[in-house]
Amino acid sequence: MADQAAPQTALLAGVPGRSRAWMIWLAATAALALVAPHLLASGFGISLLNRMAIAIVFALSFNMLLGQGGMLDFGHAVFFGLGGFATMHLLKLADAGIFLPVPLLPLAGALGGLVSAVPAGWVATRREGTSFAMVTLGIAELAVAFVVMLPQWFGGEEGVSGDRSAEPALFGFDFGAALQIYYVIAAWALLAAVLMWAITRTPLGRLTNAVRDNPLRVDFLGYDPARIRFLCFALAGLFAGVAGGMQALNDEIVTVSNIGSAASGAVLLMTYIGGVGTFWGPVLGAIVVTLLQMALGTLTDAWQLYSGLLFVFMVLWAPGGLSGIILSHAPLLRAGLGHRLLARYLAVVPAALLTLAGLIGLAEMAYRLQAVRSGGAPGRLFGFAVMPTDPVAWVAPTLLLLGGLLALRSLAPRARAAWQEAHTLLARGTPR
Amino acid sequence: MTENTALALEDLHKSFGATAIIRGVSLDIRAGSCHAIIGPNGAGKSTLFHLITGRLKLDRGRIRLAGHDITGLSPHRVFRHGLARSFQVTSLFPRLSVFENLRVAAMWQARCGHAYWRSVAGYPGLHGRVLDMLENLHLTPRRNVPAAALAYAEQRTLEIGLALIGGAHTILLDEPTAGMSRAETERAVALLRRLAGGRTLVLIEHDLSVVFDLADTISVLAEGQVIASGSPQTVRGDAAVRAAYLGTAAEDLA
Repeated sequence: MADQAAPQTALLAGVPGRSRAWMIWLAATAALALVAPHLLASGFGISLLNRMAIAIVFALSFNMLLGQGGMLDFGHAVFFGLGGFATMHLLKLADAGIFLPVPLLPLAGALGGLVSAVPAGWVATRREGTSFAMVTLGIAELAVAFVVMLPQWFGGEEGVSGDRSAEPALFGFDFGAALQIYYVIAAWALLAAVLMWAITRTPLGRLTNAVRDNPLRVDFLGYDPARIRFLCFALAGLFAGVAGGMQALNDEIVTVSNIGSAASGAVLLMTYIGGVGTFWGPVLGAIVVTLLQMALGTLTDAWQLYSGLLFVFMVLWAPGGLSGIILSHAPLLRAGLGHRLLARYLAVVPAALLTLAGLIGLAEMAYRLQAVRSGGAPGRLFGFAVMPTDPVAWVAPTLLLLGGLLALRSLAPRARAAWQEAHTLLARGTPR
Repeated sequence: MTENTALALEDLHKSFGATAIIRGVSLDIRAGSCHAIIGPNGAGKSTLFHLITGRLKLDRGRIRLAGHDITGLSPHRVFRHGLARSFQVTSLFPRLSVFENLRVAAMWQARCGHAYWRSVAGYPGLHGRVLDMLENLHLTPRRNVPAAALAYAEQRTLEIGLALIGGAHTILLDEPTAGMSRAETERAVALLRRLAGGRTLVLIEHDLSVVFDLADTISVLAEGQVIASGSPQTVRGDAAVRAAYLGTAAEDLA
């Protein structure tokens, strides 16, 4: 076939200027993944890395829908969880003596995710926008009901658990050790991320973006937008299933909570905080939110409140997410306009810290009031003894918060103005 | 219907509720011609386009495209039979670059299908086709700009480009020069003439200078019916057309 004579150069011609950049990124990421567990050589560090890797794959798969396809899926954890259950059942088969190499088990997750996303997508992708979101919410409820109804498959309340190190060792690895399972998980994360990135460069990937922007026009260009949404949905389910499989290997247990709405909400949160406008935004979001969850989770009971506040803050003031913030500053820094921002930005920092201190003070007092009432110790905060039962003690954080907010009110607009001025300069300075 | 009919409309009817918008339209559009459809506001011109392209369902009638019955097909199937269209209200992919807009529009023709296992840059001819169209539209310097950031006339030009690049043999253009200045309109007309190249153009247009410049056949639609059809000379002299075009447009016709 003459069509097959596609020269290799044509492949690179399509990505002008940046053709090799991805190889450097990939090599750097792989190198980082290799050394990271040795830099954080503790059980906590490695478990943190595993959670990040799982969250990255899950968030990237979610963004195939939200960022690439404009589809807000309120039930994405369904495919994550069912992928996890599929993996766990194979792990149990392996425990029972059937030869199934543990590192390959996330493939079962992929299959579980795909098989569950096909009927769900068949229903949901007939609609777009709000109707699509509503349908996915319904599907999520259905899936939870289904899992609860079949305890012989899904283990009821306790879930399904297995032992990844019970199999005979494979080339001397039994995958019981944290470091060994880390490398399995990191390899899957890298593979899944590369595949999801590659899909954005294919006809389907580009059509998905087109359907997000203007489904009607796609229909008049020879493609059925519902079919494109469906294919995207099925692939996103597949990769969510991979993430679920990775988690099944890591935790050695999958429960109904893995498919529930809280898990679906968590992936929305991290994807949005990272930013849906770029491919790598969700990676950033997954890393930051996982860090917050695990680091704050050990420090305070109020961590969910803090990640909720962060989410609200991002939606209101930085809808492009962390990656949006980076993207709107990178060209300014490159053009040497950074010095115009620095002073105004630095001025905001003390005000922001004051506000944050006040917020944390109030939140912790409220949480510890509960602890004291149930007979616990209030503990210390920022080196001070916390006395939540003393009304006077509430005055200090309240003042901090009010003072911080007042300062922000005058300083934040000036920082924003500096940013706008810098962009005006940039637009004027660059020839079209 | 004869051998060289690109598009045959047979007794089309469409009502919205009790209001009949299209009331028995029949037209034969000759292959390779430029056929303008004119008529006062509310005559049903855009509705007619929506019916032909499958956006709206017919109440009655039959549509044939190069001999194939396309009655009742959805828009993407109509496109696959070789009919593309542009929109009166610009309808682009706002967040995609100009290049990416054109590439998406050329994908079906390049047999990309729904592939998710092969780089879009690897399809033979696709890249070159987009570059050629960029050149023809004079949008090459703007190729990496998101469509939303283009100036209005540039967006209108890209709108025409999306309809032309997909390899359709029949192209429906809904007011391609709407909102353009005199100079921009002249450029768009030149572009259409250059790129038509043996294809059939069906044109809705209010600007009668564009109509008389481009069209070799004109049909006049009024109140959902074709009241006159023929060469520009015949239509210009038709009494019924003059009656439908009372006011300023009548002076344009003369």
